[in-house]
Amino acid sequence: MHTTNQTPRIRRSLSLRASRMLLAGVLLTGCQAANDRFLNVVDPDIINADQVNNAESALALANGVVGTFKGATGGGESSWMFGGLLADEWSTSSTFIQNDETDQRRIQLINSSVTGMLRTLYRTRTRADEAIVALKQYAPTSRAVISEMFLARGFSEMQLALDFCNGIPIGVTNLTPPDNGMPKSNVEVFRLAGASVDSAIAYANGTDAQSVLMNRSARVVRARIALALNDYTTAGTLVTGLPTAFNYTHTFSLSTSTNTLWGQALSSRRYSLGDSLEGNAKNILVANAIPFASSRDPRLGTIVYPVSGAINGQDGLTYARTTNIWGQLTPVDVVNGVDARMIEAEVALKNGQVSTWLGIHNALRAAPPKLGDITPAAMPALVDPGTDAGRVNLQFREKAFWTFGRGQRLGDMRRLINQYARTEATVFPQGVHYKGGTYGPDVNLPVTQPEENNPNFKGCTDRKP
Amino acid sequence: MSQVRRHGMTLIGLLLLAAGTAAAQTGTGTLAVRVTDAANQRPVEAARVFIVGTQLGGQTSTDGRISIRFVPTGEQVIRILRVGYTEQTKKVAIAATQTATLDVALTAAAINLAAVVTTATGEQRRVEIGNATANIDAAKVVEAAPVGNLSDLLNSRAPGVTVTSGTQTGTGSRIRIRGMNSVSLSNEPIWIIDGIRMNSSNANFGTVTGNGGGTGGNNASRVGDLNPEEIENIEIVKGPSAATLYGTDAANGVILVTTKKGRAGAARWNSYVEQGALTDRNTYPTAFTTWGKRPGETVSTRGFCNLQRVGTGECAADSSSSLNIFNEKDLTPLGTGNRNQYGLQVSGGSDVSRYFMAGETETEVGVMKLPEFERLRMDSTGIPIRSWTDRPNAMTRNSLRMNLNSALNSKLDVALNSNFINLVQRYSLESNATAGLGSQVFGGPGTRNNGTVSGVGTNLNGYRAWTPGYTWAEKTSQEINRFIWSAQANWRPLSWMANRATVGNDWTGRNDENLLLRGEGPPLTATTRLGSRGLNRTNTNNVTVDLGSTSNYAFFGLNHKTTVGAQYIGFKATGSQTGSQQLAPGSQSVTSGTQLTVGEGTTIQKTFGVFVEQAVNFRDRLFVTGAVRSDQNSAFGTNFQRVYYPKGSVSYLISQEDWWKAPSFVNTFRLRYAYGISGVQPGPNDALKFYTANTTTVGATDQPTITQAALGNLDLKPERSGEHEVGFETQMFDSRFSFDFTYYSKITQDALISAVLPPSYGSVASQLKNLGSVKNAGVEISVNAQLVQRNAFGWDVNISTAANDNKVVSLGNTPAQTGIPTRIIAGYPLSSYWERPITGWQDKNGDGLITYFADATKNEVFVGDSVIFRGYATPRYTTTGVSGMDFLNKKLRLVTMWDWRSGNIWYNNTERIRCTRPNCAGRMDLKATLQDQAMNIAANEHPARTLDGYLQPGAFVRLREASLQYTFAPSVASKLIHARSLAFVLTARNLRLWTNYRGTDPESGFNTTGGGETPQEFQTVGPPSYFIARFNVGF
Repeated sequence: MHTTNQTPRIRRSLSLRASRMLLAGVLLTGCQAANDRFLNVVDPDIINADQVNNAESALALANGVVGTFKGATGGGESSWMFGGLLADEWSTSSTFIQNDETDQRRIQLINSSVTGMLRTLYRTRTRADEAIVALKQYAPTSRAVISEMFLARGFSEMQLALDFCNGIPIGVTNLTPPDNGMPKSNVEVFRLAGASVDSAIAYANGTDAQSVLMNRSARVVRARIALALNDYTTAGTLVTGLPTAFNYTHTFSLSTSTNTLWGQALSSRRYSLGDSLEGNAKNILVANAIPFASSRDPRLGTIVYPVSGAINGQDGLTYARTTNIWGQLTPVDVVNGVDARMIEAEVALKNGQVSTWLGIHNALRAAPPKLGDITPAAMPALVDPGTDAGRVNLQFREKAFWTFGRGQRLGDMRRLINQYARTEATVFPQGVHYKGGTYGPDVNLPVTQPEENNPNFKGCTDRKP
Repeated sequence: MSQVRRHGMTLIGLLLLAAGTAAAQTGTGTLAVRVTDAANQRPVEAARVFIVGTQLGGQTSTDGRISIRFVPTGEQVIRILRVGYTEQTKKVAIAATQTATLDVALTAAAINLAAVVTTATGEQRRVEIGNATANIDAAKVVEAAPVGNLSDLLNSRAPGVTVTSGTQTGTGSRIRIRGMNSVSLSNEPIWIIDGIRMNSSNANFGTVTGNGGGTGGNNASRVGDLNPEEIENIEIVKGPSAATLYGTDAANGVILVTTKKGRAGAARWNSYVEQGALTDRNTYPTAFTTWGKRPGETVSTRGFCNLQRVGTGECAADSSSSLNIFNEKDLTPLGTGNRNQYGLQVSGGSDVSRYFMAGETETEVGVMKLPEFERLRMDSTGIPIRSWTDRPNAMTRNSLRMNLNSALNSKLDVALNSNFINLVQRYSLESNATAGLGSQVFGGPGTRNNGTVSGVGTNLNGYRAWTPGYTWAEKTSQEINRFIWSAQANWRPLSWMANRATVGNDWTGRNDENLLLRGEGPPLTATTRLGSRGLNRTNTNNVTVDLGSTSNYAFFGLNHKTTVGAQYIGFKATGSQTGSQQLAPGSQSVTSGTQLTVGEGTTIQKTFGVFVEQAVNFRDRLFVTGAVRSDQNSAFGTNFQRVYYPKGSVSYLISQEDWWKAPSFVNTFRLRYAYGISGVQPGPNDALKFYTANTTTVGATDQPTITQAALGNLDLKPERSGEHEVGFETQMFDSRFSFDFTYYSKITQDALISAVLPPSYGSVASQLKNLGSVKNAGVEISVNAQLVQRNAFGWDVNISTAANDNKVVSLGNTPAQTGIPTRIIAGYPLSSYWERPITGWQDKNGDGLITYFADATKNEVFVGDSVIFRGYATPRYTTTGVSGMDFLNKKLRLVTMWDWRSGNIWYNNTERIRCTRPNCAGRMDLKATLQDQAMNIAANEHPARTLDGYLQPGAFVRLREASLQYTFAPSVASKLIHARSLAFVLTARNLRLWTNYRGTDPESGFNTTGGGETPQEFQTVGPPSYFIARFNVGF
């Protein structure tokens, strides 16, 4: 009886309690949902990842890659410029210690400028991969654009290997969480770059102007990689038949970004043309340095020295020497036909074809193509130095002038040591540095301290050339 | 869900319980109270009168009276509190519909301690809360020692609160309370003014074309917008144990500002006039140049020779020349600044409605001034000297305030506080700017004859690359129009229940502007002198809605107080920037530039929190409080919804116990303990993976771009800082001596670390993660003593001291963050200094020079092998002593404030860069001390390249403030100018410095408002000294 009398009441109570709980639950859930909406924030400054889902987005990603890539060439203070400081192309006239220590060949692992350059190169690679995936999915017919993305990836990988030490971490891009890359030697990175550029060549198989341009550009870059890998035959084959008068450029405008080679050198005077005699009195000898400034070579345009007594360098100390190759909006050649000729010439020299080698150079000197804003006057023909060493010197000197400021000099100096049996003491600047101390031992840029956040990275494997 | 349900049921239960208990009270009467000073029987205004156990009470009017209606019948306990007086408690019988009267004569206390403090749940007696409180009687401070800004009002007035001020007029300050909690987020406290959240952001100055990208260091602070004259009181809630109910963002402490309110009575006018001068009394380093000949040369030149090269024989030195631009009358860029301030305030009203209105205008011109030689150059060549070129650092502030209070009926009070501020200020590009003054004035050689400015041909006169006339051709200014309002309603439907609502908004319209006319300015780049114009206009809106309900009731013989509340904070900043370069000749318009730049930015953040607090009062001597707050925030990751912040505290007035057997000279003794948790939220978009849009040129056309901008973190949650605080306070010798001791220990968990990502990820540079843990522990001691208390002479002393021990406990699985020369390493203080130490030096060859040789047997400077910890970046120990002396029957009062800070290193980054220019003594002066030489050699010649020598002792003693106030007798004031009161005040600030620091000033920091934790001197002009005269007149 007791139980039976109680049961309906308990049931009613339970039912009532359940109803109340249900009601409370609905109210609370409703409140929570309302609160979530209330606290939801829409920020117009950002684009959410799920909005990048169509052909236009894919092409905008590709444009973003071009913008990033530009930062690794002439649109940013890139390893083109710091490589040139470490080599002999540029001398520092900056107040920044990062620039000074690079010019002095004593780069610290905490050099924030080098870190920035490193990030830009890696970002070009990662963003190119992201764009390639998006383009293949949403704009698969844009093959020339896909080719350009592969070229950007391969070029940035090549530049990493040209400028940085052995032990460059390379991971799989665009993973979540990001991949901790394993350190690779320069040779391994060059091979990786080669594979990327091979894809660029494969995608640039159309007959439209952009495909043709991409094909030519990728072949030159692939040939540079082959040269770095000591594969002269492949290098020669790739550039055979390429015209001298072509160029793949990074361009600028007043409303987006301007030419940093101009901005840092002629405009801000943080970089001064390299020379073999440094100091305002031009009395400090820099051994091995090509006298870019004092040679008055027409390929460097009009070299401007400051008026005596007027401090010209940004550091307020150095009489900076400037060049007018580039103006504020001058496109920068990432790849051009002259690069192809330089590769041809070096292959010919390697194969002992001295007259062919000399002919290539003299043809260029007789009718110099436009370099940046200038078209150099014709130059006298070169004479064969008569020795292998002399010819190599001449080859690399000529190339240094033709490719000035475009990120090739440091790699070539390293090749002189690795492939031509030169030594650091006979290739890199030596002696007293005009800003204090003497030149140090660095022959490449280090992978800097922030990379130590990658548990697989324990510093450069070595700092050998 | 179940937690929420339980939480809600508990709240409802408590409120019902409270209602049931209190409902038994029926019938009401009226209480009329008159409060006077026992010493002279004059009325005491602004005394707080409370009916204990109810929500009834209020403040006395100017005639010392207050009438409280609807007081429950029966015997009631009345408590009367007033700062400067001893608390009194009286019992009064209240009869229904009758008016009971109570006359109270308060006895002046020797020590002025605030008896009532503001908490998140409303005003509360100080003895009831378990935390140490810091209270600044702002009205009294500004009257006795005029201050120009809130930094001066806060600085050195509360133990554990470290303020580092900017050096230019108008710049903000860096405030740290009980150390630094966060590795990657802001460590600044939040500010609340009259119950609403106030925008207190620092480092918010920028234009799109400014040559320094901003000002090169010191920036404005929105805290600096406020007029100190309008503030009644500032309370500093120091840590999470007290700040819990202020919710997310309060972990770094809360600064509560209460503005002046009207008091019933006839209109009382107060006016003040202030005039002052600013002078720079710092000692600046001298520039040196070594002259000599290289082997084979016959003519002595500068440029190649330095002490190292002399030591190695690469150069034969002839002499050193020197120049200190600051000491040259015609060259110095510093002069005498000035300030003036005029204000008028009126207060009055009736019991029903009261008003306070204030208006003020203030102008301050900093010490930077166009040098004489530049003035001559510009005059002689017909170049116009614009106001910003002549005096590049200046500020004008106008402030209007109206605060209204009204008792609409006996149960409902409303208040409206409103403040409009107009601020126009301009700064010099200074420290960390290539185009700035510091780079030029600290960077030149030890000679005037150093050539001409590039491209323009005028003499450098010892400046580095150009002279101040070029730097200051650029106008860098900011205009603020700001409106802060809040409205409060207090509704007491029942004597035991009070409901409050606060709604308010802090709106700021900011216009950052720079202008460089074509043909002017420094030859920084090829296009700089083609002109530039930049505008950055930003609107900031901070909305607060704060609701609360408090019930008092008795239960089990104990007095309870239950408070529930909810709070919404909505922050939104929208801005647009436009700029252009290469302007048309004569144009000041952005539209005339050929190179246009535009941009926009939006920041939105919302917080919603609810809380409940339960306080229990055991026989008015033991007070126990427990509370919890729960917050949701738009910045949390989607996988993280809500955060809970609990707190608990105990306050035990142990000297009230019958068994208390203390020596007779001990008047009161109170023990305190508190624990609480608070948090700091991440940035608005830190949890999101997102892309940003931009443009780039592809081929011949500009194209839109999309690039990845953040990796995001779906698990992102706020930092949580938990703090234990224990302490005691006692008053002795007839309350003429008070001693307050506090120990705190707080640990920040889930510390947000901006983890540096490896470049090889090819992604962003960092990602915010909840990884770390930071610990702060310390003690704070405050001593107040009335040493002498006579009519002819009185002397009171306040000494407060604080010590802080800061340590990064963990960085999660991220490696140490390495900078130059700072590091963040687990086990060591946050952002501390690390370097390879200079272990010694020896002039082995006796040539009087310290030289680095690669050959160890010849080398003369020695450096340790490893980078080691060198010290805290900011003071660990702070002690402030304030001495007040009264003469002439308290008509004349002399107050001095002495500050001692120590336990830290100050980075002399000015000397570091001078040695690279190079012009420092250690590199260029043939008579330099061996220590100076060793510093330079270790940094610039030794392979270690250690900056250790520039990490210098930061300890100092400063005579920070001295003021002399003469208050005229009322009869004299009346006779002289028909005034009710008249006082004259002379104040000097930053009078004298004693330190072993080798730079300009161990408080001179270029980045104090930059948000970093390593303020340092870097090509920085030091803080000026102020000399101010002021009249206070009352009618």
